Amino acid sequence: MCKASFRFVVFAVAVLAICCLPLLHAQSPELPAGPVQAKVTTACTECHESRIIMQQRLTKGAWTKEVDKMMKWGALVDPADRDSFIEYLSTNFPPDKAPEQMPRVAGAKKH
Amino acid sequence: MISRRSFLKGVSGAVAAAGAIHPLLNWAAEDAPVVLPGEDGLIVRSARFLDLEMPPEFFDSWITPVPHFFVRNHMHEPSTLDAETWELKVSGEVEKPLTLKFADLVRMEPHSVTNTLECAGNGRAFQRPQVPGVQWQKGAVGTTRFSGPRLQDILQRAGVKPTGKHVMFRGLDEVPGKVPPFIRSIPIEKASDGDTLIAMRMNGEALTRHHGFPARALVPGWIGAASCKWLSEIKVLDKEYDGNFMKPGYRMPNHPLKPGDPLNLEDTHPLTALNVKSVMVGPADDWTSHSRTIHIHGAAWAGEADIVKVEVSTDAGATWQAAQLGRDHAKYAWRLWSHNWKAPKAGDYTILSRATDSQGRIQPETAEWNPSGYLYNAFDQVEIHVQG
Repeated sequence: MCKASFRFVVFAVAVLAICCLPLLHAQSPELPAGPVQAKVTTACTECHESRIIMQQRLTKGAWTKEVDKMMKWGALVDPADRDSFIEYLSTNFPPDKAPEQMPRVAGAKKH
Repeated sequence: MISRRSFLKGVSGAVAAAGAIHPLLNWAAEDAPVVLPGEDGLIVRSARFLDLEMPPEFFDSWITPVPHFFVRNHMHEPSTLDAETWELKVSGEVEKPLTLKFADLVRMEPHSVTNTLECAGNGRAFQRPQVPGVQWQKGAVGTTRFSGPRLQDILQRAGVKPTGKHVMFRGLDEVPGKVPPFIRSIPIEKASDGDTLIAMRMNGEALTRHHGFPARALVPGWIGAASCKWLSEIKVLDKEYDGNFMKPGYRMPNHPLKPGDPLNLEDTHPLTALNVKSVMVGPADDWTSHSRTIHIHGAAWAGEADIVKVEVSTDAGATWQAAQLGRDHAKYAWRLWSHNWKAPKAGDYTILSRATDSQGRIQPETAEWNPSGYLYNAFDQVEIHVQG
């Protein structure tokens, strides 16, 4: 590969890495680590972003109702994983956790 | 062989190019602002589905500029919206079903209503114990001038049969998975009110995509969910629409419930008009003032009723003083209010606000608890620290 074309490839890959990966990350922040983190991410963020989950502060009973409702509405959760989902969500997003900080749309007026 | 210098040159060029794509980079960091054309400074509760909240500093305008107006989507926005091919079907319990084009609606006599639109879940984040849903604080609310033909003129053209008792709205929202479609209905009496619109404009400009282009329902004084966006179908029914977003969604218990009490759906009613409510937007909670003179201000609204009084307490509710109501007012629109107070001495103070409306409703100390946190309207409250 000639010097110029390699430089172009480096340039293009770096542009993609700088722009696109953080973009995807910010659109859907990663859920906390845990035994079913990957499965919860796949099942839930198919329809909505992770911030919807991360802003909830619910008891185990309330999370149970949410998981059951979402499974009824088409979330692809293996029934064998249902209890693990509820455990993961109620452990990571319980009522006594501090509220989630949300970003702003650009252009916010200062106080 | 590529030298380290060539490699670094390529990367540094890429950094410069990426910097030029500034809007994309604004998505990058967790706490960096998100760029959304047409929206300005809103709090991102969710980027997908799009749910944006107005921050407190934007309550200072009686008319909310559209870029500051909250966005509430239950589903994905329609992937294609074309005014040329868009149609609005009118069917059901009518003599003459209609298919209206964008140009047909533009030709109809327009009417304007300045309306405070509030999401039924506004304030849910303050509900205790916490309840599921978008965790709105104060700003899932805004006031704009909506314009478009009256729904009653469209219904008159179609000829509602005596059996027509409710009017159903369906939008073009794209439904994921097996989620029930966002369809709701309002009683024929409200649909026939001269202020209920098929809105095509906000503040004189065509609706933006996030606010329901090309046309949305505008059911003034009622919860935001009544004002269906991206409208595609109006159907006159002989009874209330039977679907998820009418039941179990958007209902209140007929009798007060305590947290944990079972909810019997047969003992509930659909949400309609908004509650009486005031919010304080200044001073901010936990604010430290270096002056003893404090400007307390906010907004108050009451759905279909008028605000007649806003009171402020600076001693945690022991005594109340009347705030001054702003000059601007209209049926269905909020009143801005303010009160200048001089703290007697340095110290910590709890400031409360409460509103009273023309129906005699008084904003309560504690909001009526319900499992979805709808219509939260407890006294607003801030704690401040006065120095000097």
